[in-house]
Amino acid sequence: MNAPVASATSMQTVCLTVNGRSETVTVEPRTQLADILREHLDLTATHLGCEQGVCGACTVMVDGKPTRSCLMFAASCEGATVETIEGYKGDNLMDRLRVAFRTNHALQCGFCTPGMLATARDLVERLEEPDEMRIRHELSGNLCRCTGYVGIVAAIAQVIDERKALGIAATGKPRSPRPETTGFSPFEAAISDRPAAANVSSGTVTIENGWSVVKREVNLRHSPTMVWKHFSDLEAVAECLPGATLSEHDDSTFAGHIGVAFGPIAAKFEGEGTYNTDNESRAGTVAGRGKDRGGQSAVEGELSYIIRPASGDPQASIVDVRLRFRIQGMLGQFNRPELVNGFVDYILGEFVANCDSVLSGGEVRESRGISPFAIIRAMVGGRLKSLFRWN
Amino acid sequence: MKPVPFAHSRPAKLTEISSALDADNAKLIAGGQSLGPMLNLRLARPSTLIGLSHLTELRSVRLDGATLFIGAGVTHAQIEDGDSDVDLPPMLRHVARNIAYRAVRNKGTLGGSLAHADPAADWVTAMTVLDAVLVIANGREKKRREPMSGFMEGAYRTKLQPGEIIVGVEISAAMGEAHWGYEKICRKVGEFADAIGAIVIHPGLQYARVVAGATEGPPILLNDIARAIARTAKRPALEEIDAALAAHLPGADRVKRQLLKTALSRAIAKVIP
Repeated sequence: MNAPVASATSMQTVCLTVNGRSETVTVEPRTQLADILREHLDLTATHLGCEQGVCGACTVMVDGKPTRSCLMFAASCEGATVETIEGYKGDNLMDRLRVAFRTNHALQCGFCTPGMLATARDLVERLEEPDEMRIRHELSGNLCRCTGYVGIVAAIAQVIDERKALGIAATGKPRSPRPETTGFSPFEAAISDRPAAANVSSGTVTIENGWSVVKREVNLRHSPTMVWKHFSDLEAVAECLPGATLSEHDDSTFAGHIGVAFGPIAAKFEGEGTYNTDNESRAGTVAGRGKDRGGQSAVEGELSYIIRPASGDPQASIVDVRLRFRIQGMLGQFNRPELVNGFVDYILGEFVANCDSVLSGGEVRESRGISPFAIIRAMVGGRLKSLFRWN
Repeated sequence: MKPVPFAHSRPAKLTEISSALDADNAKLIAGGQSLGPMLNLRLARPSTLIGLSHLTELRSVRLDGATLFIGAGVTHAQIEDGDSDVDLPPMLRHVARNIAYRAVRNKGTLGGSLAHADPAADWVTAMTVLDAVLVIANGREKKRREPMSGFMEGAYRTKLQPGEIIVGVEISAAMGEAHWGYEKICRKVGEFADAIGAIVIHPGLQYARVVAGATEGPPILLNDIARAIARTAKRPALEEIDAALAAHLPGADRVKRQLLKTALSRAIAKVIP
């Protein structure tokens, strides 16, 4: 039944109950419940909107609970009892909701309605009182672009009242009100401070005309001459970037790829670009673009850097880095700018540690196998790489 | 969009998970409410998914002496409803009910959220402020324990090693009587948090912790603020909170800091009238 499948392409047979009927479908493991319903059982009233769990259009009842059918894959459907808007035969509350939606003008185009009704059915059953704030709060996971929600909220409130009039108790656990704050008497807290994190982030991330701009200061415990020498050996530098491979380069262009694994996100960016360096000022600029074919994402950006001596220590350098980039495609949709800072810190940390190690006569440390955000990595990677390749 | 093709196994027992994880490019999936969107967007392209949501052994909630154990497979909705034989700390129920949406809470799990380690996720911050300890297994050796503060290393990065799985979370049962405040700021109900402020005070345990969450990385412990609050039983000045945030997040922009400061001061106001 739940036996592991042999290969990614082999089919999986799934038995489930839909609207009271036993169904058996043979599908690819990647098939979402929504597609089992729509493509294999011809139950097309379940709509797919965002396929990211945000819009709520695909919400159906699974084992009596509203569930995103776009986020449930075939294997998880085994043995499930599913109710879609084609079902609910003889369901008193759903019958009342259908009437209430009609009379309260709770739909216009109707795209959100199947998911909206699944959520509404759950609310009508769970909520003790037709509290408008609570209903609106609970409806936040179902987007409607037509009605402004007024009619939907009214319809749900109406059916909650009807349910109460019928003497049917709510099933939701009551929420006990929070007791008033009483305060406390002063006391000495036992707090042990752990040592502060080694690297406190010192950079900034801003958004300028749709481009993310990261500015950072990187410290290296080697003289500017040494650092510049290292940075001007493109191949040596590429080696310090975990996952990066340089396929070709001349004195102003480069090509290569960089593999990134950031949490569950994996990407391999292939790209090319140009770079120039100024031996006098120990400054350089790298520009490039790359594509992650498997993920249909693209990144482009520009990295500039300048190496200067650290004050008071001739054996130390500071690299000022400015990275300007933008991501398009699927990764762009996922863009979480607030995470960029941490990623860049992490990447630079890994890179700096490797550079430090190599400059001290050692080898590139073993990668922990995790490297950050595809994009940034590609950018920083591409750039830093090329930065380094001035010779 | 649809995910890339993958195999999807559902091992019958927890002890089979580690060997299943030996498969090339395998990924654990519990409720799938964070990984699912990444699969559908093809940001994540595993060859094999190893399902956990059917494992009842991950779903227990129990009291072991003075320690409350919550299984990794317990859903947000179960915590929201207090759907267990053991009373859950009121703070957990409050946090759970404001995670995403009910349809997501019906599937998403505590352990999945902690392993995913999105900085904006509620449990990462809530379990840090409660000084929770994660119970981690790898199927071959004994279970190990890892404090939540320190478990997360960065966005989507944790101390979980290859082949390891979070089995559950341990919290001191006394936390049920703690003074607590938990406030998050979102642009829309259910969206990723822009800022989270959390405080837990338990004079009997000499416990005081203040945490800023939904930053660029792991939740931040503001120990000086916590000490001062315990010592004075008064709210700190906004400037003090701001200065503490500036010290920990020198690169954060003004808007972020303002949001964190607001979330923290609201949370503290829940504890100190």
